Amino acid sequence: MNSIKNLTLIDDDEVFVYLTRKTLKKTNLVGQVRVFENGLDALNFIKTNLDRKEELPEVIFLDLSMPIMDGWQFLQEYRQLKLGPVKNITIYICSSSISPDDVARAKAINEVSDFIFKPITSQKLLDIVDSL
Amino acid sequence: MEKIADYMYALDESAIVAITDQKGLITHVNDNFCKISKYSRKELIGQDHRIINSGYHPESFIRNLWTTIANGKVWKGEIKNKAKDGTYYWVDTTIVPFLSSDGKPYQYVAIRFDITGRKKGEEDLNKSLKEISDYKYALDVSAIVAITDQKGTIRHVNENFCNISKYSAEELIGQDHRIINSGYHPKAYIGELWTTIANGRVWKGELKNKAKDGTYYWVDTTIVPFLKADGKPYQYVAIRSDITERKKGEEHIKKINHQAIEHGKALEFKNRQLVDFCNIVSHNLRGPLINISMLIDYLEESESEEEKNEVQAKIKPVVNHLMEVFNELVESIQVKQDTAIEGEKLYLDNCLEKVLVGFETEIKEFQAEVKADFSEAPVVFFPQKYLVSIFTNLIGNALKYRSPDRSPEIYIESSSVSGATLLSFSDNGLGIDLNLHQQHLFKIRKTFHKHPDAKGFGLFMIKTQIEAMGGDIWAKSQPGKGSTFFVKIKNEKHEQH
Repeated sequence: MNSIKNLTLIDDDEVFVYLTRKTLKKTNLVGQVRVFENGLDALNFIKTNLDRKEELPEVIFLDLSMPIMDGWQFLQEYRQLKLGPVKNITIYICSSSISPDDVARAKAINEVSDFIFKPITSQKLLDIVDSL
Repeated sequence: MEKIADYMYALDESAIVAITDQKGLITHVNDNFCKISKYSRKELIGQDHRIINSGYHPESFIRNLWTTIANGKVWKGEIKNKAKDGTYYWVDTTIVPFLSSDGKPYQYVAIRFDITGRKKGEEDLNKSLKEISDYKYALDVSAIVAITDQKGTIRHVNENFCNISKYSAEELIGQDHRIINSGYHPKAYIGELWTTIANGRVWKGELKNKAKDGTYYWVDTTIVPFLKADGKPYQYVAIRSDITERKKGEEHIKKINHQAIEHGKALEFKNRQLVDFCNIVSHNLRGPLINISMLIDYLEESESEEEKNEVQAKIKPVVNHLMEVFNELVESIQVKQDTAIEGEKLYLDNCLEKVLVGFETEIKEFQAEVKADFSEAPVVFFPQKYLVSIFTNLIGNALKYRSPDRSPEIYIESSSVSGATLLSFSDNGLGIDLNLHQQHLFKIRKTFHKHPDAKGFGLFMIKTQIEAMGGDIWAKSQPGKGSTFFVKIKNEKHEQH
């Protein structure tokens, strides 16, 4: 029995994605994991699946520093979609940044539930599922 | 006899009359005497004349009076007397001794006229005169004073004026006031001064003057015109106070202020660099380190040999990546630290030629065309290493991010902009969406295209190099059409931030 049916990773770091996938698999908490290596690809996927609720993720782990469209730009575009009535998506910023500026900036965005400092351990993942 | 009576009447009406016996006891007073002394006749008759003594005059004065009249001579003088109510009055007094046949006075007739008003006026005048001379003294000891006539010729200077101007009074009197002119003030300022005082108005302001030895001093100045009956000035009194120290202080503060602002700017720049650096460490170094640590954790926990090998294979690239980022950082820090690097005279066409050799293969392969016009500004003063870096990175980017629909065309131009050289590198490539990427364009490890060789280091590095030399770099771009990068080179010696 999975607690999260559909999770999306938006991150360009191959190794991080590889390891996080492994961790997710080990916890058996997550069904499907989709990966996008920049904000734009993820945004386009969401846009084209607006009417297919089951394809949209329940949880997004969003990196900040990415090429093409970074995490901040993704959040800005994501707000415009106004997905509230369509599906409740919980977004976690997941970054290697430990800059207080980034944390403060993330806290100021309503769509962001929390700021997770990399790496994502099994324990952190369990906590997240608990809080959902 | 009738005539004498007339005289007596006239005297009584006009003067204050009293008669005393030879001992000084009052035997007769007229109405005027009673009026001024405020005593009734009854109170006076038979009294010693000293009843109206004011005590004002010295004993010698009174003694001289008595000696005179006791010797049968007329005494004249001004006496201050005291009335019954304690007030004083002044009388011009003539005392005539009436002599008996043996030549000795048997009575004295004192004829007085009230001069209290005049005396008071005199006293007031003396007081005023003293006050004026006190003022003059106070002014002279405290201020720098000069008086000129209406033409500006010096008529009077005080000691302070001589001290500060280092001229003697003899050297100044008769000279035109411009002798201390410093030439510092604009004509309009001096013109306004003269218009003001020539029209009879007071002028106040700060003036810089020149002393005899050529040094300057600042004075806070008030010039008061003294006017004739017709309202025109006949002389000007200039009262000054030395404000040289204050002026020096003001200038010093101005300088310090300016320095503080410059330091502030430099500090702000440094701080921005530090924030950038902090971001780099946080984003670009911490990321790969976390990966390595996670990979090692996995390796330790993993029980399957297959998984171990898989994980192990991933460690090396991450370490390489970390090394690469680390080396880039070191390189950029070296640019910031290399304060000794200096500009040299470089021909832009030489530099281009040298750089193009390195791109020969790509240019042939992509059928690229590179054109340049350096005719307007052929030479720059810049470190060769940095100039080569700028050309290599910008030409390299133009080739790397070429459009798949057309052959690359690159156009490089130089122009002069107020002492600086402006280089522009235009291409017809993919372009960059600056609405999205403006703020990241020159940041480390930021890429804007899916390209296997996109590293996000070139623009970061050349910006570091350009800024280290006090220059600037910016870009214009249209996605799908192409980009133009502008580089401003200061052509000056290195200035450290």
